Amino acid sequence: MTEMTASVTAARPPSDITKRSLPASLVIHALLIAASLLMVYPLLWMVSASVRPETEIFSSTSLIPSSIDFSSYARGWVGLDVSFGRFFWNSLVISVLVVTGNVIACSLTAFAFARLRFAGRNFWFAIMLGTLMIPYHVTLIPQYVLFLNLGWVNTILPLVVPKFLASDAFFIFLMVQFFRGIPRELDEAAMMDGCSAWRIYWKIMLPLSLPVLATAAIFSFIWTWDDFFGPLIYLNDMNTYTIQLGLRTFVDSTSASDWGGLFAMSTLTLVPVFFFFLFFQRLLIEGIATTGMKR
Amino acid sequence: MSNAMRTPAGAINVERYQGAVAEGRFRRVWNANAPGYLFLLPWLIGFFGLTLGPALISLYLSFTDFDMLQSPRWVGMANYVRIATADPKFSAAMHVTLTYVVFSVPFKLTFALLVAMALNRGLRGLTFYRAIFYLPSLLGGSVAIAVLWRQLFASDGLVNAALSQFGIEGPSWISHPNYSIYTLVALSVWQFGSPMIIFLAGLRQIPQDMYEAASLDGASKFRQFYKITLPLLTPVIFFNAVVQTIDAFKAFTPAFIISGGTGGPINSTLFYTLYLYQEAFGNFRMGYASALAWILVLIIAVFTAFSFLTSRYWVHYDD
Amino acid sequence: MSLRVSRRNFMAGGATLLSLSALGTSAFAQEKRLRLLWWGSQPRADRTNKVSQLYQSKNAGTSITGEFLGWGDYWPRLATQVAGRNAPDVIQMDYRYIVQYARRGALAPLESYMPAKLNLDDFDKAQIDGGSVDGHLYGVSLGANSAATVLNTTAFKEAGVDLPTQATTWDEFARMGAEITKAGKRKGMFGLADGSGGEPLFENWLRQRGKALYTADGKIGFGVDDASEWYDMWAKFREAGACVPADIQALDKNDIETNTVSLGKSAAGFAHSNQFVAYQAMNKDKLALTNYMRIKSDSKGGHYRKPSMFFSVSAQSKAIDLAVDYINFFVKNPEAVLLLDVERGIPESAAMREVVAQKLDENGKVALAYVSGLGDLAGKLPPPPPAGAGEGELMLRNIAEQVGFGQLSPADGGKQLVTEITQILARG
Repeated sequence: MTEMTASVTAARPPSDITKRSLPASLVIHALLIAASLLMVYPLLWMVSASVRPETEIFSSTSLIPSSIDFSSYARGWVGLDVSFGRFFWNSLVISVLVVTGNVIACSLTAFAFARLRFAGRNFWFAIMLGTLMIPYHVTLIPQYVLFLNLGWVNTILPLVVPKFLASDAFFIFLMVQFFRGIPRELDEAAMMDGCSAWRIYWKIMLPLSLPVLATAAIFSFIWTWDDFFGPLIYLNDMNTYTIQLGLRTFVDSTSASDWGGLFAMSTLTLVPVFFFFLFFQRLLIEGIATTGMKR
Repeated sequence: MSNAMRTPAGAINVERYQGAVAEGRFRRVWNANAPGYLFLLPWLIGFFGLTLGPALISLYLSFTDFDMLQSPRWVGMANYVRIATADPKFSAAMHVTLTYVVFSVPFKLTFALLVAMALNRGLRGLTFYRAIFYLPSLLGGSVAIAVLWRQLFASDGLVNAALSQFGIEGPSWISHPNYSIYTLVALSVWQFGSPMIIFLAGLRQIPQDMYEAASLDGASKFRQFYKITLPLLTPVIFFNAVVQTIDAFKAFTPAFIISGGTGGPINSTLFYTLYLYQEAFGNFRMGYASALAWILVLIIAVFTAFSFLTSRYWVHYDD
Repeated sequence: MSLRVSRRNFMAGGATLLSLSALGTSAFAQEKRLRLLWWGSQPRADRTNKVSQLYQSKNAGTSITGEFLGWGDYWPRLATQVAGRNAPDVIQMDYRYIVQYARRGALAPLESYMPAKLNLDDFDKAQIDGGSVDGHLYGVSLGANSAATVLNTTAFKEAGVDLPTQATTWDEFARMGAEITKAGKRKGMFGLADGSGGEPLFENWLRQRGKALYTADGKIGFGVDDASEWYDMWAKFREAGACVPADIQALDKNDIETNTVSLGKSAAGFAHSNQFVAYQAMNKDKLALTNYMRIKSDSKGGHYRKPSMFFSVSAQSKAIDLAVDYINFFVKNPEAVLLLDVERGIPESAAMREVVAQKLDENGKVALAYVSGLGDLAGKLPPPPPAGAGEGELMLRNIAEQVGFGQLSPADGGKQLVTEITQILARG
């Protein structure tokens, strides 16, 4: 009984622990601010590099540019054959599809491993973990040939379809760990009321797992946003390039590179990811405030 | 305490509660296992269709000489023998990767946990701090990182500028064979945002009234941490430890970007997967690279199995 | 419920994609299509695409799609596409890789197209041979360049040191370097870059002594004495302060922006002539090009005019004739050559060099003058490097770094280099 109300109150930020001594509070804040500066310095440098003159980028170590010049942004946006807006859109489409696929497929799989009993469960669990260990460079060529035979090369299908088939063992594992932390009494009570496995999954497990689902969504989005090797291999047409691929075409070690453009666009690419993160992190806090768990 | 590898006693037996009348063994077996397998179906399709085939092919390739442009040529154990006996770069790569794992994972997890706990207390500016600490992870493997890191750790970089305030003249950290690996460790630790978020989610799931009850009983903050937080957080700690370690073994992009693909200077940043990549795409030795990959899988598998087997001694599951 | 919706969306999306691609193929089925792949950045892409458009306007019914990547990403993608039997028709090739790809059957031999379809009459014969492997022509050179020293003339002037000339020897150059370092006009700047790990520099030095990196039959072309003397020469330069110390040189990742000249750490660095435009764009100071130094005042033959890159045709291509015609257009059509300028190198065709010379900008003129004016500094083109040359280059640098950081003596370094390279070549 305590567990049920416990799972409800877990959502609210603890209010009584905030009453602490002022010095301790100040120290913590000071440490946090110092740490934040450390964390953020490289990024500040990048923003600064995106607005300073090209020849100054590598020669000056100070954060403050000698003059502010936004031309890198304009140049970077339209500089390539294909406008950067197109890359943003491509990345967005792929990332959203991947997030959808991952959350759905991985939660289904994790539910099976964490809550259902069936023959061979441990065997398949070990196999699933095994897939986490294979470095992608080596299955690359056989998978490429496979997708080529399916006619999927030069489309986004090789990047997206595997996610709907729960290819990301990381999220399965993550969700398994979380599902196992949710008290079984809820499921068993539902069982006694005659619920099917599907209803338990849908009505009980998922609502209670919003934190981990949000986590999976955030990570999926960001990793897909940042991935370049998959798009490098499977997307030939520049119109279908993602952001990371687009960024890499700014730089070529054998001829003239556009560093200002690179930094400008890199700064821009942080923006959507950052907002995606901000939006979903509220879910982490507010998550499961009231989901009808009180009995 | 339950053991992750054995069937937990509290697992739901759907058959019993569905009230399905057992009409013979087939029906019973079907009802027992169908839901599980139905939920597993997407993963099974993906595994058999997209993963198993290529994985088996790559295993086959590890016993061949394959330059990607012509057909593979069977060479038996030759690749593995060479790795075990005659490959100095393999030893160098192993050494570098192990150093990376041993240093980056503990630091990263410690920072992640400490900061998550600090942020979990409902501080003012929580949202802001949380986002700031996560920002580095957003940069991922961007090309810009190489430049940023050089700006920090080169001979005239920011770190040395700061050190010179104290009268210390630092070497060129990022291009010195003794220190370059640690700049990569720093990069990994800098991006502790991911495990931090997971710890936060885990901390969120700990019932608050446990702390309240403990406070009423007079338990100190430290005691609460050791008796409530840590034990209930162990599944998440376990997860982060295993996954971060596997990731560290497989790390590629940081070394690739910062060393320009060379693993230098003097192989001091030659991560294992970077060596693999060089062999596959630089030297057209896909067969050898496949053998290297499967050795890595073996090492990671041993580590993971060990982790799971010992997890029963310290990981608490609620079921 | 949401599962059903997402599956529907996914199916819809997939169907749209498939139908779109079908549309594409049916519309183009009757035309002749060509896929190009090259490495470079946007400026090169602009020029190449303009040439492609020009070609399409003159050859109705053809359709040319171009893909490009940075150097680092280019080779994995090419390898994957070739392995997957999805190779582009026209492939930009490099001197180092052309042997690998040719010998493994990935490229189509082109000599049968000469001279009717592929007219390379006014090419330097050596440059044509540069693209030949085992007697067959696999690549058409898109431009010539040569190794070069990049000088920061402003830094030289500040330190009061004269610029080197074509007659300068290594010892003299090292003295200049030491003077610049001592003058200390710029914080952290040394005279020269540490070139001990640079393969073009080492090769140049060997050639002046009558040796070579690799022989025509793919064996090592130098001995322990040569290698040890080479590492020792640089060790002495390092001691005298003529060149940057090892940890500064290790910042150089073999590209334009991490070269010690671009980083402001040295007044002289080692590069290739066709990168001059990019170098000047990166650096505020005025730069100049000069040759690699002579060993003795009468040494010669170190340099050679090298095909900077080739266009090859994939053996899997279904449009080899069209590809050859495009390549011919690329290197022999005056309008095309004017669009391309000297961005990929100096045109190999004598006639085209004339055409381009009139329209060059200042930096382009510098590069052209440099390559044409090598005189007795240049010798014969060496044979294409054997398989394993890439590893050899990394080994040279690796050992140079070990010597530089004091982990190996120059003598031992020389011994190890020869041993390692011999092993690498034997492995094949």
